[in-house]
Amino acid sequence: MNKYNMNKRGTDKILSIYWFFILALIAGGIIAMVYVFYGTPYDVREIESEILSEKVADCISSKGTIDSEFFADSTFNTKISETFIKKCNFNFNVEEGYGDINEVQYFYEVEFYILEDLENPAFSFYNGNNNWKTDCSIKKENDKEYVKLAKCTEKRFYALSEEGNQYLIKILSVIGKSEKNVK
Amino acid sequence: MKKKGTILIENVVFIILNLLFLSVLVLFLVNQGSGAIVLEQTYAKQIAMLVDSAQPVMLIKIDMAKGKKLAEKNGIDFNNVVSISGNIITVKLSEGKGYTYAFFNDVDAVPYAEEGMYILTINKKEEVAENE
Repeated sequence: MNKYNMNKRGTDKILSIYWFFILALIAGGIIAMVYVFYGTPYDVREIESEILSEKVADCISSKGTIDSEFFADSTFNTKISETFIKKCNFNFNVEEGYGDINEVQYFYEVEFYILEDLENPAFSFYNGNNNWKTDCSIKKENDKEYVKLAKCTEKRFYALSEEGNQYLIKILSVIGKSEKNVK
Repeated sequence: MKKKGTILIENVVFIILNLLFLSVLVLFLVNQGSGAIVLEQTYAKQIAMLVDSAQPVMLIKIDMAKGKKLAEKNGIDFNNVVSISGNIITVKLSEGKGYTYAFFNDVDAVPYAEEGMYILTINKKEEVAENE
């Protein structure tokens, strides 16, 4: 074996080690990417909050007419906020896996506006965890998507009372559940 | 001749090691994509969204052929893959606790398995059952 052949074999071996080092580096990168991709939970909060707002809207009016339970003696029935959850068949219990098992992960707010005054609601009520509402205003003010914040859906529609009065109804629905939807 | 043979064996070992490495990587990727943890979460959230948007009286069919295959591979009876307790769905495709997710629609949702599918019957919750 002459001097040149020895050097060539040495270079080959170094090249092989270098090759495996590169492969290990690529594999490490791929494994890291896969873990990040599959380790990130599917975020369904936006869909969930949309469904919640739809359900709330369905409970308020049917075929454009507001349910008679919302009115008492030609004014708004303030007791509706207490019975609304049962009327709409909502159950806000959640499974384990969130910070506090007793912390409600849902929130909705309904506002009724008469057409003459669209600034101040004529009647409003809410249910669920009021703390989530601030997340919506943070998102609105900064016009940015913060993944860890609760997901909000705003819905508005017009409906008539049985007497024929027209109202603008705004619904805000919010879903917390960041522990199970965001990494 | 002897020298050439030595070089060939080295090359063959190098190629085999490369192939082994790549096949392990591909297997890892395939296993991750169809892993129980990912599928459990997908099914649990999908079913929760379906129940949330459902109204009594409804019948919802969910194709879970992929889940059935995985459950059988992991020795889990397909009839026990989806369970609903109150308003909490549990999907279990492997040994362990499975994945749970809550739905807010307070309906009586009953799941049952049928040939690679799960059928959900959605009915109004009865007052008597609630009081019990």
